[in-house]
Amino acid sequence: MFPTPIERRSAALQRMYKTALPFAMILWLLPLIAVALTSIRSAGDITAGNYWGWPTSFNLIQNYSDIFTNTPLGSYMWNSVRVTIPTVIGTLALSCMSGFALAVYKFKGNMLVFFMFVAGNFVPFQILMVPVRDLTLQMGLYNSVTGLALFHIAFQTGFCTLFMRNFIRSLPVELIEAARVEGVKEWRIFWFIILPLMRPAIAALAVLVFTFIWNDYFWATVLTQGAESQPVTAGLYSLNGQWVAAWHLVSAGSIVAALPPVAIFFLLQKHFIAGLTLGAVK
Amino acid sequence: MISTFKTTIASLAASTILATSAFAGELVINTDTSDPAPKAAFEQLIADFEAANPDITVKWNLFDHEGYKTSIRNFLTADAPDLANWYAGNRMLPYVNAGLFEDVSDVWEENGLNESLASAAGSMTIDGKKWGVPYTYYQWGVYYRKDIFEANGIEVPTNWDEFKAAGATLTAAGVTPITIGTKYLWTAGGVFDYLNLRTNGYEFHMALTKGEVEWTDQRVVDTMNNWKELIDAGFFLDNHTSYSWQEALAPMVAGDAAMYVMGNFAVAPLREAGLTDDQLGFFQFPVINPDVPLAEEAPTDTLHIPANASNKEDARKFLAFLASAEAQTKINETLGQLPINKDSTVGDDKFLQAGYAMLSSTDGGIAQFFDRDAPAEMAKIGMEGFQEFMVKPDRLDAILTRLEKTRLRVYK
Repeated sequence: MFPTPIERRSAALQRMYKTALPFAMILWLLPLIAVALTSIRSAGDITAGNYWGWPTSFNLIQNYSDIFTNTPLGSYMWNSVRVTIPTVIGTLALSCMSGFALAVYKFKGNMLVFFMFVAGNFVPFQILMVPVRDLTLQMGLYNSVTGLALFHIAFQTGFCTLFMRNFIRSLPVELIEAARVEGVKEWRIFWFIILPLMRPAIAALAVLVFTFIWNDYFWATVLTQGAESQPVTAGLYSLNGQWVAAWHLVSAGSIVAALPPVAIFFLLQKHFIAGLTLGAVK
Repeated sequence: MISTFKTTIASLAASTILATSAFAGELVINTDTSDPAPKAAFEQLIADFEAANPDITVKWNLFDHEGYKTSIRNFLTADAPDLANWYAGNRMLPYVNAGLFEDVSDVWEENGLNESLASAAGSMTIDGKKWGVPYTYYQWGVYYRKDIFEANGIEVPTNWDEFKAAGATLTAAGVTPITIGTKYLWTAGGVFDYLNLRTNGYEFHMALTKGEVEWTDQRVVDTMNNWKELIDAGFFLDNHTSYSWQEALAPMVAGDAAMYVMGNFAVAPLREAGLTDDQLGFFQFPVINPDVPLAEEAPTDTLHIPANASNKEDARKFLAFLASAEAQTKINETLGQLPINKDSTVGDDKFLQAGYAMLSSTDGGIAQFFDRDAPAEMAKIGMEGFQEFMVKPDRLDAILTRLEKTRLRVYK
């Protein structure tokens, strides 16, 4: 087996590994540690240039309550929820159906439609910036949670359809054929036979799409502005004051904003990894 | 069936229009005062106004700073409030020229504001008319470490030679005379403003920022040569291009730098970082050319009536209320800034008092700030030029030629 597992290496090498590992970990986590440390500093510490030293005072409770009472972080978080949850539900609903259609039915242009879904994934989304902004403006959806969610649903459906179609393809065709022989209607086959079997794929995709959308910064800044519609990733910047950049509050806000996807990742870690590898090997 | 459906839609549409547009007695105000202190100040102001005018209800929409700069262009044309806050001087010029702000000279006349707000009258006037009411400003000047000055036996410099001598003493003691962070350019604009105001005076400075004078003019070169003297003498912090203004506070807190050419908003973070009022002082930027009357820099915040507003009558009442001595005293106490009404009382803070004393005796004129006096594009390229000059003073000619080219293009 390559690489040789560490427990089968020599004792000296094992010791080296064990001492090097914590160092490497701290080095990798240094930026995160800095953010966490900054989030409990006082504003005075930051002005005095004390970025890495021991904080002169610990303002854990003060900073974290400040961001909710003195800044619109709460409404930014709520906007993120209002964008992310409908996107996850909408994308999964659409891609389950389109995946089912593309995997089960043989019709003219099946491959063409499928390739279009796949090709959509290869379009760099930055080039869509101006047309999509104009489109949402003309539809009256600019600067609204609905507009942002609709765009995410449309864009994520491509990838999810590819994923779902391949997953359904790997299910035994005999299940569907047997049901058809029994005279079960097509939509009942989808609902009662295929959908329950797709649960692992749905779970995996839900976790994946949730983190994608929650962490999206680009479209949040392009399609929304202001506390009434902007998600937290884009809203963090406005925690700064007119003159003074309140890095301690921005850091605290970043940590709060990062909690939901991190929590989801740890709770559903199994599905997340499955989502990345599902369909990768036959 | 279809017709009833249509009427339902029509009445629904009508009711939403009614709901969004202001009806009589409702006053819609849009502001970007979302920081804690400005927010509290406006809350108080609106509550007081409503108490004084029980028949008027105020609807207040709060925007964040960055978003407001783009939002204001949208809402002034599309969905105008009755009042909106903005800034004096050239910053309001585009909206005045586009006919988006209402002429409020009558408010000034009727309430005697030409006397009580005299110090800001100039910056509110375009084409001989007043376009808004100013409610707060703050001074610029030199903030310095009093204890470091005393330790090195330096008196507060009042003229150019004393200023340079003070710098030489500080450099000899291993202290950087002036801290500055030019990463976001505008700090360099502040230094240029003061050097130019002191070298050539207010009239010339305004003519320059209005595009009426060539950047290659000898008088601009004089200003830059004065600046070069400071640069050559090692006045400014090393590597200033990689610091924001805020990061450049750190050397001053640590005692590695002694002065900062800055606005009064620098005081709050310096105090937070542990400097006491015994350690921290303020002085007026020293005289360079004794023949030039002293002009100062004091950016002014203002409130305007959009031309498309629906309730202009009540909006005028609000402006008159905002201009009163009591309202300005109260709002600026919360803001920690200076009232413009000359009958207002100034907060009991030594920096506010110093600023008030300085600005109320200013006869040379009050500039807004380089990026408020000059149009946005000129300001950006100008300040990039200043930053470059601070790093490579030898490129002066090339920089001024570039600015002159920009002037010809921007003002036309």
